[in-house]
Amino acid sequence: MENLQSLLHGFTIALSLQHLALMVVGVLLGILVGVLPGLGAPNGVSLLLPLTFGMQPVSAIILLSSMYWGALFGGSVTSILFNIPGEPSSVATTFDGYPMAREGRPTTALATAFGSAAFGALVGVILITFLASWVAQVALAFGPAEYFAVYFLAFASFVGMGGAAPMKTVVALAIGFAIAAIGIDTVSGSVRLTMGIDELVKGVSFVVAVMGLFGIGELLIAVEEEIHARAVSSKIDWLEVFRAVGNLPKHGTALLRSAAIGCWMGITPGGPTAASFMSYGIAKRFSRQGKRFGSGEVEGIIAPETADHAAGTSALLPMLSLGIPGSATAAVMMGGLMIWGLNPGPMLFVDQKDFVWGLIASMYVGNIVAVALVLLTVPVFAALMRIPFAIIAPLIVIICAVGAYSVSNSYLDIVLMLGFGVIGYLFKKLNYPLAPLVLAIVIGDKAEDAFRQSMLMSKGSLTIFFDNRLVTSLVVAGFALLLLPLALQLLRLLRGGADTRQAWVQRRWR
Amino acid sequence: MISRRALEAVTAVLTGSFGLAVVISSLGNGIGWGNDGVDPGTFPFITGVIILAGSLYNLVRGLSGIGIAVSRDDLRRIAGLFVPAAIFVGAIPYAGMYLASAGYIFGVLALPKHQSLPRALIIALATPLALYIVFERMFQVSLPHGELAATLGY
Repeated sequence: MENLQSLLHGFTIALSLQHLALMVVGVLLGILVGVLPGLGAPNGVSLLLPLTFGMQPVSAIILLSSMYWGALFGGSVTSILFNIPGEPSSVATTFDGYPMAREGRPTTALATAFGSAAFGALVGVILITFLASWVAQVALAFGPAEYFAVYFLAFASFVGMGGAAPMKTVVALAIGFAIAAIGIDTVSGSVRLTMGIDELVKGVSFVVAVMGLFGIGELLIAVEEEIHARAVSSKIDWLEVFRAVGNLPKHGTALLRSAAIGCWMGITPGGPTAASFMSYGIAKRFSRQGKRFGSGEVEGIIAPETADHAAGTSALLPMLSLGIPGSATAAVMMGGLMIWGLNPGPMLFVDQKDFVWGLIASMYVGNIVAVALVLLTVPVFAALMRIPFAIIAPLIVIICAVGAYSVSNSYLDIVLMLGFGVIGYLFKKLNYPLAPLVLAIVIGDKAEDAFRQSMLMSKGSLTIFFDNRLVTSLVVAGFALLLLPLALQLLRLLRGGADTRQAWVQRRWR
Repeated sequence: MISRRALEAVTAVLTGSFGLAVVISSLGNGIGWGNDGVDPGTFPFITGVIILAGSLYNLVRGLSGIGIAVSRDDLRRIAGLFVPAAIFVGAIPYAGMYLASAGYIFGVLALPKHQSLPRALIIALATPLALYIVFERMFQVSLPHGELAATLGY
């Protein structure tokens, strides 16, 4: 009951005129970056970050999270109308969304996608409403050793469940940690890993990395694949919208199953992309229409969309209550929290009640605003796709350069950003996952601090990670996840070949 | 034309040398158990070793890759995007963000005849203007003006 009271209080904060206006602006900007190839939720949110420094933290997070919702919706629009996923997490939506739109039912496809997306988001927010403060309460009792164990578990789950080649995930994670360590060490004050470049003493901001990895990297991939926007009609037939949404309850099982998969993948940092693929794959196996998937099946749209949004929303749960973001965008937002002077983690629920519940309430409102706005603006944003790529590409390069520079007014950051762009291209091309890299840059310092503090407590003995039942089970679960890919591989070897097509598609788009 | 094997190898060598640099650099900070707890170089050292070991593994795995990763046409298109972008970034310290972005847009649009000359000119002038209004005016973020502007006295 206490949660509901706090939520009501949150609504009084979220429903102010200023915050509603911020939601509209955020959602529209989000749809814009979601629609444009090369710009996505992670770099869209990082671009806005420097502009939020003068704002109240609640207003700032409402703006940024609304942008996130907008980007999630925007990605689906281009997937369905153009067969071009605006976001990696909406790749699975193209499988059935585009065929349905090409058959002459674009409104049905869009309305089904938005309806199930809204349902997924709603389940995610409800989960946060009831679970987040409880998780935070448990986490209040955590010491450094428990914290390190939770971080370890988070990173291990990337390796075990992320879907990319495990050793590539490990390398991406470790590079992120090393980048996080560049600059002044907060504990000893000594300068680390600057390789003789004085300007690196301030460290490398995650914003710079995100601009390069997701912005420039994505552009290079897009120009290589020579995307052609072959649009189907983007007219919205309002009667059909209500009919399609009204038909959704018929697919209740698919909705609930996909939402559950999404929530699970969002809380454990599997992320929305993995969630949507997994949900599509499972729906294909269990649906009665499974064989017709790929030719414009309704459930083929419901499954990835619901899971995508459920994961995107619930990725904020571990960010708020533990200080561990569940997706790349959540990681960027958490970086923002730290810049605004808040300390993500269980203490937020004690010290910053207005912030937390204002945000949670705004997630309910923001998603409604997003559905309404995205339906209204589909024709406008679809028209945007007709601007030639040759014009959009240099504009995005300039935006990324300005974004990287504005973090700390350093030219070196622009050069680093371009370097990250090359890395982003290579990594995407060769299926190294990018999300763990960003995550490690954002929380690398915290993980290291937790490790060093626990070592101080135990006077250098690793036995502290097996001191009590909680820590031990977290560490053991982490190791189990780390070894999961190895175990699966052995199992596959024993049973012979396996279904590789789905895995191939999934890896290709990571 | 770049084979998948070559691309995997280059990437693994790249990550591996970064790992090696991290290992060497962290040795200078001291690793192991010191007077005030874990030495500052320890954590980076461990990550460096993991990067190095993982890269070696990926190098060996990558050598069994087959097929073409980037075709000649792909490479041309990528260079067509990346080279002008790199020149743009290289020009920023001298020409400043505004001049560099105007020149960049104009060069990319007008030279390969993607757009007509007047249209390229309009977009090239509108971009820095928009940057100026949004950043310098609305959000008071000063973008680099460059040495050229400095010598001219701005």
